[in-house]
Amino acid sequence: MAETRGILKSPLDVGGGLFLIGIAIVGFAGGFKLPFGQLSGIGSGLMPKTVAVLVAAFGVLLLVQGLFVTGDRLEAWAIRGPIFVLSGVLVFAATIRPWGLVVAGPLAVIVSALADRESRPTELAVLAVVLTMLCGLLFKELLNLPIPFDPAGLIPDPVFRAYLGVKSGIGQAFTALRAIVGR
Amino acid sequence: MTDLIGNLALGMSVALSLKNLALCFLGCLIGTLVGVLPGVGPIATITMLLPITFGIDPIGALIMLAGIYYGAQYGGSTTAILVNIPGEATSVVTTLDGHQMAKQGRAGIALGIAAIGSFIAGSVATIVIAALAVPLTAMALLFGPADYFSLMVLGLMFAVVLARGSVARAIAIILVGILLSTIGTDLESGEERLTFGWTEIADGLDVAVIAMGMFGFAEILRNLETTQTRDVVHAAIGRLLPNMQDMKQSAAPIARGTLLGSLLGLLPGNGAVLGPFASYTLEKKLAQDPSRFGRGAIEGVAGPESANNAGAQTAFIPLLTLGIPPNAVMALMVGAMTIHGIVPGPQIMTKQPQLFWGMIASMWLGNLMLLVINLPLIGLWVRFLKVPYRLMFPSIVLLCCIGIYSINNSPTEVIMTAAFGLFGYALVKFGFEPAPLLLGFVLGRLMEEKLRQALVISRGSFMTFVERPLSGGLLLVSLVILVIAILPTIRQSREQVFKEAD
Repeated sequence: MAETRGILKSPLDVGGGLFLIGIAIVGFAGGFKLPFGQLSGIGSGLMPKTVAVLVAAFGVLLLVQGLFVTGDRLEAWAIRGPIFVLSGVLVFAATIRPWGLVVAGPLAVIVSALADRESRPTELAVLAVVLTMLCGLLFKELLNLPIPFDPAGLIPDPVFRAYLGVKSGIGQAFTALRAIVGR
Repeated sequence: MTDLIGNLALGMSVALSLKNLALCFLGCLIGTLVGVLPGVGPIATITMLLPITFGIDPIGALIMLAGIYYGAQYGGSTTAILVNIPGEATSVVTTLDGHQMAKQGRAGIALGIAAIGSFIAGSVATIVIAALAVPLTAMALLFGPADYFSLMVLGLMFAVVLARGSVARAIAIILVGILLSTIGTDLESGEERLTFGWTEIADGLDVAVIAMGMFGFAEILRNLETTQTRDVVHAAIGRLLPNMQDMKQSAAPIARGTLLGSLLGLLPGNGAVLGPFASYTLEKKLAQDPSRFGRGAIEGVAGPESANNAGAQTAFIPLLTLGIPPNAVMALMVGAMTIHGIVPGPQIMTKQPQLFWGMIASMWLGNLMLLVINLPLIGLWVRFLKVPYRLMFPSIVLLCCIGIYSINNSPTEVIMTAAFGLFGYALVKFGFEPAPLLLGFVLGRLMEEKLRQALVISRGSFMTFVERPLSGGLLLVSLVILVIAILPTIRQSREQVFKEAD
């Protein structure tokens, strides 16, 4: 802790302060036109603006503290992890409507898995296929969620027929189970 | 007293239906399964599994969600003992002695005593909830808007004091949560606020989106940074049932832990998280030979685990009776209840007694199930722990995506969740704790509503918050708590508590 630092005694606090000030500015700008109202009938702008000002105040506090009181450094940001994991999520969002889980599932799994340098292609391919199938069965067939599975009809016919077989078997088993459990 | 028994009997009749039993069982099982996985806490678990409950009626759904919740709590302890990674904040203390016991070949005993302690604590907590529910609900009806507002201020103050790091940072992050809660259409004037003309968020942000982003995705990003050396215990698990001597040693710590945990769980503002720490400190102080702690003392597992479970359950009280979630998990429960069309608050008990008492009765049944299903299944959980993270996190990503998409069938919400993942990651990098933000987000809306109502009633006088005895008292307590937290001496010991936990 005793090491000498530059002008920033605590980069973590300075960074945190700037981060808060940034949030406050966006918040204040978003609520800029809203009326404050009177105390007996407060307007829609009172809460957002007041809170934004308070956030900014704490931001300034942290910033000033960071300039004068020695504290921690900022941690380095990882690049690979966020890029691939979040891309995986975005790819899922982009493909789920047009092509359904058959495409979105494996893509989300594979793209996000690239975040880890140690991932192995074959292992990953198996995981992607198995997980997609399980999720399809669980969410689509068992739970009846309206999640698109294969709206574009991408699955080749024989595979699809085999899948239908499995599906109806599971469906029957589930209906039987429901009858027993009494729902 | 007869009322209490009558109410519990009603609850049992609901909870004991075959369907609800099955849902409770399923919830506990899935909750444990996901809770066991290190790096997936109860918040991410509940959000991820929320869609599973969509097709079920509200009672069944809540029973299942509650099961997922305490199942996840339970799974967290298993991971703490076997892998030395706390599955969640409250099982941090369990890693200290639990993992040591496991290294000495007493993993089974540690798991066994944790389960037994949790069950006893859960049973007591269920009775506490049942006993306090009626008087607290009656009290809630005396609360005016001003009192509610002040109560929430108090809750947030507790959350500030109990958060890690500096008080200023904790307050700031709660304020950011409140700011996020103002996004969307203003209910009174119909004006769009902070939407920047973006219609997708005109209805406001979904609590699940924020929770999943900050606790699902951001958590993965952080886990990926540190190559986890998973110290899975290789020695045999050994005997599960503690012998007479173990039981004798643990009986008093379990009793004390249960009491401490139940009381702390009642506090608005995440008091439950204090339970295990308080219990551990107490047991260490009371022990004849404190040096045994940290080297596999069974009291160090029995006490905190009981406190953890008791607090986790009594944390339902503020939510069910006052409609105010005391911590981030309960904040998410509010979201889950809203999806099923239930508004948390005192009216649940009067208007939907079956739902209320059924849920409470199911908590006890769930605890019993956890005891029975988990111990024999321990081998299965261990196998789960051995799944490498490189396979686990893509699976979590997919489940999170499906979960979020299913809530509103909206790809946009999936994108927003990704954005909150990045936001949560940034928060941590700038040294903020994400949990208070979620609490601030959920309480923010309620607070604004109550603030407006109170000011309308008082015709614009802020004095109403001080003049009403209840509200004034609550604000005074909040102030005292804040002052205490800022005082240097207390601050030091507070930092010490958290340091010990690391």
